[in-house]
This record gives sequence, C-alpha cells and structure tokens, in this order.
Amino acid sequence: MSISLEHLTKRYGEHPVVDDVSAEIPSGSLTAILGPSGSGKSTLLKLIGGLEVPDLGRVIIEGDDVTDVDPRFRDIGFCFQHYAPFRHMTVAKNVAFGLKVRKRPKAEIRARVEELLVLVRLQDKAGRYPAQLSGGERQRMALARALAIEPRVLLLDEPFGALDAQVRSELRTWVKELHEEIHVTTILVTHDQDEAMEVADQLLIMHEGRIEQAGEPTDLYDQPVNSFVHGFLGPTTEFGGVAVRPHDLELFGPGPGGETGVVTGITALGFEVQVTVGFADAQSTWVQMSRNEFNSLGIAIGSEISVRPRV
Amino acid sequence: MTGPRRWLVRGPVLVYLALLVGLPVGYLFAKAFGSGFQAFWAEVTKPGAIAALKLSAEVAAIAVPVNTIVGVGAALLLARRDFPGKRFLDLSFDVPVAVSPIIIGVSLVLAYSRIGWFGSWLAEQGISILFSPTGIVLATMAVSLPYVLRSVLPVLVEVGREQEQAARTLGAGSLRIFWQVTLPSIRWGVLYGVTLTIARTLGEFGAVLIVSGNISGYTQTLPIYIFDSWDQNFDFLGSFAGAVVLASISILVLVALSLLRSKEKRLHVDLA
Repeated sequence: MSISLEHLTKRYGEHPVVDDVSAEIPSGSLTAILGPSGSGKSTLLKLIGGLEVPDLGRVIIEGDDVTDVDPRFRDIGFCFQHYAPFRHMTVAKNVAFGLKVRKRPKAEIRARVEELLVLVRLQDKAGRYPAQLSGGERQRMALARALAIEPRVLLLDEPFGALDAQVRSELRTWVKELHEEIHVTTILVTHDQDEAMEVADQLLIMHEGRIEQAGEPTDLYDQPVNSFVHGFLGPTTEFGGVAVRPHDLELFGPGPGGETGVVTGITALGFEVQVTVGFADAQSTWVQMSRNEFNSLGIAIGSEISVRPRV
Repeated sequence: MTGPRRWLVRGPVLVYLALLVGLPVGYLFAKAFGSGFQAFWAEVTKPGAIAALKLSAEVAAIAVPVNTIVGVGAALLLARRDFPGKRFLDLSFDVPVAVSPIIIGVSLVLAYSRIGWFGSWLAEQGISILFSPTGIVLATMAVSLPYVLRSVLPVLVEVGREQEQAARTLGAGSLRIFWQVTLPSIRWGVLYGVTLTIARTLGEFGAVLIVSGNISGYTQTLPIYIFDSWDQNFDFLGSFAGAVVLASISILVLVALSLLRSKEKRLHVDLA
C-alpha cells in the first residue's frame, strides 16, 4: 500500500513541528524516517497513524484520503516506542485484542494468535503478563498485536530505541527478515543512521520539521544534497573547504598533487585507523584507512604527509 | 538502623499514634462493652439506632456510586482533554473539603430553603430538600466529592495515553477502551477513592446536621444518632455502642481494601 503525504503541517502553538512535508512512500517498502531528536519525525509518524491531527495537508493511503479518518478505521498497525502493552492482559490476550474487536469467531482468533506467536517466537510466553517479559519480548509482542489485524501499513516509533545493543542488532535483522516475509508497507522512525542504513530500503531525512532529502540509502550516502544530510548520514571531515567522507581521502608522500601537513593524531579502532592531519593554513582533516594501509605508510605523530581525494 | 537507635524514631511515632488513635478508640470499645455484650446489643438494636444505621446505609448507597461515576468522569476529562476553564474545574472539586463542612451545610440551607434561590420553586412542585433524607444525600455528596477524583487522577496521568491509543489503532471504540483498557489500569485508584468516599460518607456530621433538622427516626444518620444520644438524651452507652458500630464499619472497609491489594500483588508481580 503506497502512502502519499501532501504538505503536512503540524504546529504546537506558533512553532511548526512538522513543516510542509510532502513525500511518497512506495508500496511494500521499508522506509525509515531518520532525524535527530526534536526533528518532528515521531509527530510525522503519528500524523500518518491518525494519533495527531494535521493543521494542514493530507494523508493518502493507497488512493484513499484518510486525513479525517479516526485511527480506529485506518487499518494501521502502530507500535509505540515503549510498546504500550496492555499490562493487565496476558501476551495471548494482547495479541487477540484487535481480532476480538473485529468479532472474529473464537476458533479463528485462537488459531491466528498461535500463528502470530510462532511468527514472533513467543509461543512459550502466551500466558505471561507483559511485566514478566524482557524488553525485546515486549517489542515482539507489540509487533504481533499490530500485525494481528492485517494492517495496510505498519508504523514503528523508535522500535529499537529502548533495547540494549545486543538485542537491538538481533531485532533489526529479525524485523528486516519479517518484512521480507510479509511485505507490509512499513515506516519506522529512528535517530540512529546505522540502524536506518541497515534496515531500510528508503530513507526520509528530517531536520527541524522538514524533509531534507528522500531516497535509497546508498544514493543519499553518496549524493547528499546538503551538509546536514552529509553530516548526519556518515562520518564527515573537511578537505579543501568542502565536506567529504574521510574514507574518500588518502595519504601519500609527502609530495606534490595534494595538501601537505603534519600528522597530529592517530586512533586505531581494530582494523580501522583514523589519522588526523593538521595544516599550516587550513582546517585540519582526518582520513580513514585500513590497518594494512596505515602500516605501509610508516608514519607516526609529527610525520610530514600529503592528503588527496581517493580516486 | 539497629539496636536501641531505631527506637529513637519508632518510639515517638508509636506514642503519638497511641495518644491520638489507639488509646481513645480502645477506651471507647472498652466502655461500649463495659456492661456486657447483651447491654451493647440491646443498645444497637434499639429502633432509633436501627433507623439511623439504615439511613446511613441508604445515603452511602446513593452518594458513593454517584461520586464514583462523577469522580472517574472528571478525572478522565482533566487527564485526557484540554478545555477552557480546566483549572477552575480542577480547583472546584476541592472546595467542599477545603472549607468546613458546616459552611457546606449552611450554604445548602440558604440555597434550598423557601427563601433561597431554588427553594421556593421546588416547594411549589412539592419537593422538599431540607429536613429530609434528600438534603442529607446532597450534603453528603458535597463533602465526599473529590476523593475518587484525587485518587484516580494521578494514576491516569501516570499510566499515560499510549495503551488507549494502541487500543484505538486496533479498532476499539471509546466504550470498549474505557472498560477493557482504562478501567483495569486505574482500578486500584478507583477502589482507594471509593474506600475514602465510603468512610467520609458514613462519618459526615457537620453538614448533615445543618440540613437534616435532626428528626429522630427520620433524618438521623448514625453520627447524628451518636451525637444526639450523648448530648440530648444522656444515653452514654447508646452513644458508645453507635460509635463502635460506625468505627467498625470504617475499619472493615479499610481492612478489606488492604487484603484485596495484597492479593493483587501476589497475582501480578511488579505490575508498575
């Protein structure tokens, strides 16, 4: 189900939190809305889900204008940052909630809940209460609850934000696999560019309520439209007065054909080495390289060295 | 803290509690049963005492449910909606307990007596509010107004809106959300508020005395019966017996609440 956002604006008082946002989200995609905190990305997600009402603009899901449709009738699956489990219901009852609302036959509900619990690997926890689950399990329960109603669109607000690093990366991989399996159009909100680059096939970069750039992750990484997107999507340094990726620079010489300076810092991060070079008359820069490359240069702090763009 | 030092803290607290609560209430129970259980029972089953107990129960049976519904409704409004006059509504609920109950009584008399704003019109319709059980119910509802609201509001704010919003995106309507999502998550707040309301409803004296006219067998609630036995009839044993019944009911309600609570805690470990 494709989603079109047309000139969406939401203000709190005078301050626009979402400012004239238009975007197309392709059917079946896994789109990440990526931005720093306070960029309006969660509010944008709530506007799509109907939990906030826009001051201006339209939300269109598969050709239907749903701007004035109550979230009850939007057929969306919404997962909250802190999962919003029904705390007084068991895992199975949580997952069954949307189906009971739809008055499905009991046998059908039981079968569907079982199927979903297998899908999210919680079949052994059906009778537990949310308080008895780990963070990752609660997240998976919330996903199963949202998927139960076979939503047209799945909306995830900071889905991995409250989890520790290990569970986070497992769950990322799992969500990506799940999406490949069920192919429901999914939008997730995150402030973590690595997470967005890894999971999503489409990115919307938000900053101060506006969309700075939209497209496929590699395109945005390689051709950012401005310094904000450049800086937000990956490591950035300055060379010759412009922003560049530090792995797009190389060290040589010293000799002609580049800027010559002095090594002022060396940081080794496992296989990766970061070398900072200071110049007499320009902003210092840093270069990212492999350990082998670094070793073959034979440099130390104080060495004279030249920098040029990698070709 | 260990050894004698902990008694530095505990000691004064226990003495304070004993002087204020333990000794007087204990002495009251001792006095009520001082002439034997049969004498006590005879006092409790006197027609005036029975009538007073019945009226108190009837008043509570109306005032408690009404104030529970109003309190939960107002808490939902204050926690979940924004509207002009919100702060005013919030404050208004506390007025009846912030001022002395006697003021509630006097203002009800002013408003509903024949010279008052509604009194003359009501009298023409043949409805009398004052010196009747209706007036007692009104006065009681006024003085026990905020307890449910004040117990429920912080819980509603604490729980937040997200469970309700999640239920909404799953297709649930407002009524279903209230019964299946909101109410279960605030039920302890509601029960606590109901307990306080029952205690206040049964115990109210000042406001009720003013509006009731103190007509024996007709507008005497249990507290007024106790007062009347003591002050007018010099029936001290009757007064002590009534007081013991009243105190026992309130203590039972408190004990029931705390039993329910500990059972709930055993069922769901760290629900919070």
